[in-house]
Amino acid sequence: MSILVDIQHVSKKYKDAPRAAVNDLTFSIDKGNVFGLLGPNGAGKTTFISMLCGLFPTSSGEIYINGKTHKTHSKECKQVIGVVPQEIALYPKLTAWENLMFLGHMYGLSGTSLKENVKDNLRILGLEENMHQKIVSYSGGMKRRVNLIAGLLHNPQLLILDEPTVGVDVQSKQAIIEHLKKLNRENGMTILYTSHHLEEAEDFCSHIAIIDDGKLITQGATKQLIADNNCKSIEEVYLKITGVKFRDK
Amino acid sequence: MKLLYSIYKEYKVLTRDRSGLAITFIMPTVLILIITLIQDTTFRSVNEASVPLLIVDRDHDSLSNVLEISLIKSKFFVITKKQLSDEETKKEIATGHFFIGIIIPENTSKKLREKSSARISKLLGSFSGDTSAVAEPLDTSKLKVQLYFDPITKKSFKTTISNSIERIISQIEMQSMVSSLNEKMKESFPLATPSKLELTPIVSLTEEYASYNNSTIIPNSVQHNVPAWTLFAMFFICIPLAGNIIRERDDGSAFRLLTMPGSYMIVILGKMLTYVIVSLIQFALMLCVGVFILPLLGLQELNIGNNLPMLFLVAFSSGLAATGFGLLVGTIATSHDQASLFGAVFVIILAAIGGIWVPTFVMPEVMKKIAVISPLNWGLEAFYGIFLRNFGFKEIFPEVAKLLLFFAASLGGSFLYQKYKRLK
Repeated sequence: MSILVDIQHVSKKYKDAPRAAVNDLTFSIDKGNVFGLLGPNGAGKTTFISMLCGLFPTSSGEIYINGKTHKTHSKECKQVIGVVPQEIALYPKLTAWENLMFLGHMYGLSGTSLKENVKDNLRILGLEENMHQKIVSYSGGMKRRVNLIAGLLHNPQLLILDEPTVGVDVQSKQAIIEHLKKLNRENGMTILYTSHHLEEAEDFCSHIAIIDDGKLITQGATKQLIADNNCKSIEEVYLKITGVKFRDK
Repeated sequence: MKLLYSIYKEYKVLTRDRSGLAITFIMPTVLILIITLIQDTTFRSVNEASVPLLIVDRDHDSLSNVLEISLIKSKFFVITKKQLSDEETKKEIATGHFFIGIIIPENTSKKLREKSSARISKLLGSFSGDTSAVAEPLDTSKLKVQLYFDPITKKSFKTTISNSIERIISQIEMQSMVSSLNEKMKESFPLATPSKLELTPIVSLTEEYASYNNSTIIPNSVQHNVPAWTLFAMFFICIPLAGNIIRERDDGSAFRLLTMPGSYMIVILGKMLTYVIVSLIQFALMLCVGVFILPLLGLQELNIGNNLPMLFLVAFSSGLAATGFGLLVGTIATSHDQASLFGAVFVIILAAIGGIWVPTFVMPEVMKKIAVISPLNWGLEAFYGIFLRNFGFKEIFPEVAKLLLFFAASLGGSFLYQKYKRLK
């Protein structure tokens, strides 16, 4: 498998911060992988994702996406990425249809293909009947599903999911995960997934990396990680590696 | 296409935000109606309006009659006649029922005629050699007409009114002298049929407000308040605009848009263009209020001058300046509350020093100098120029340039701040 994302000694230290938020991260994500990035609060996940998306530069090291960096090929790198933030990044007073049509246009899509794309996604995630309702009237699960569709509209090679199932009911969670598995299986979409639902991560991710204090602690194929640490689940591996101490006190 | 869709999205968001719409359109309309009505009396009292005046006429003769007619003709006063004592008259003025009280004592006309006659006799006696007439001492005591002023009257206004009344009384004195002269001449030349002496003023003052291009519009409360409060509302747009930017930042939309190739700049541009269009609609709406609604309330109709392209240019520049300021507030503020508070307070301060509430021409000299730092003052001065002085592009260019520079500085400031935050 070829490498889609290559992280080379990436560090980030904010001005006036006592320590680096991300400290010498080095790993890679192969095309077609579902890659889980796990770690306690304050481990550096959000900082890393922000740099991966090109929101701000690294302090040192390089991030390569399809062999290119944001510094020199920002547009090409961003075109590869689809982002589903943890927040419901939608306009509450617009309908699902209006939100998705707007975001589709912002990705440079238009015309019948965009309309069909939006309709298909809404149908698959069970929102076709409610697509002309304002987001503000949606349940938490429905909002999450629209939030997911917004990141998929331009059919990205790399989908970045930040806690995609937080605060949703079992049915919505099931629908989201199944749809993501299908996209990975049928379209070969690479997925970078962060979550605190370790059971969900174990079920969903083919590979997992655990970071703590900005550093990479371990990484590997999910089943291999469990076996190598003589544990029964990823949760056990996680607790064994990161300990039980609070990180966000 | 991206830009058009971004504008369309902003339009949808804006039209579904009822409180935002209320701030944008209803607030300035209400402000214009209320403040114009309140300030109209003040502007009229300075300009042309009706000053309530009480005449206590104990004379009931020619002087009081002529004085009353002259006061009515001056159109300065609304006259009420009452028979009151001195104390009662004072009380009427002190309690604010009247601005001025005039007491004309009993027999003033009669005494005026006697004094005039004595002066003429003495003068003519010196020509005819009538030594008894010349030798007779002249009564130089003055007849008194009492004026009472409301204690809140400004000194300058009091002097103006006193001078007007004194001028009228001087004319009556002159008429009395001429009448006496006529009578004496008739006694000396009984067969002569003299023509009436023309007493209309020989010299008259031609007054006009200094204006440009033959425009002779006189400033009034409508001409001040409509552009003033429209500018205030245009700058108040910074609150919904800043709120809009902060909301996008807080709910992750900005994060998502920043991850899209080149989209965030287009979204910001779309946002700004939408709000500039909104500010132009605000402006057009407020002009309509000035032209069509205010006259229905008994106020003067707004005269918008005859240079519509310049009017549009000033409105557009003001809209850009206001939008740029909103973008800067939205970029720097960390929460919606902070943006609302900071934006509102800052706009109110700029409005206060810029002559929106109290026009700069009644401000003390120090404040007049400070006023020129406010963008609202630049817009207001440009509108004054178009409404009152019929200014063209050359004359309003300095104000327009300042507004555009303010826009550029705000825009530059927000991009630099954003860059600084990203690199932090």
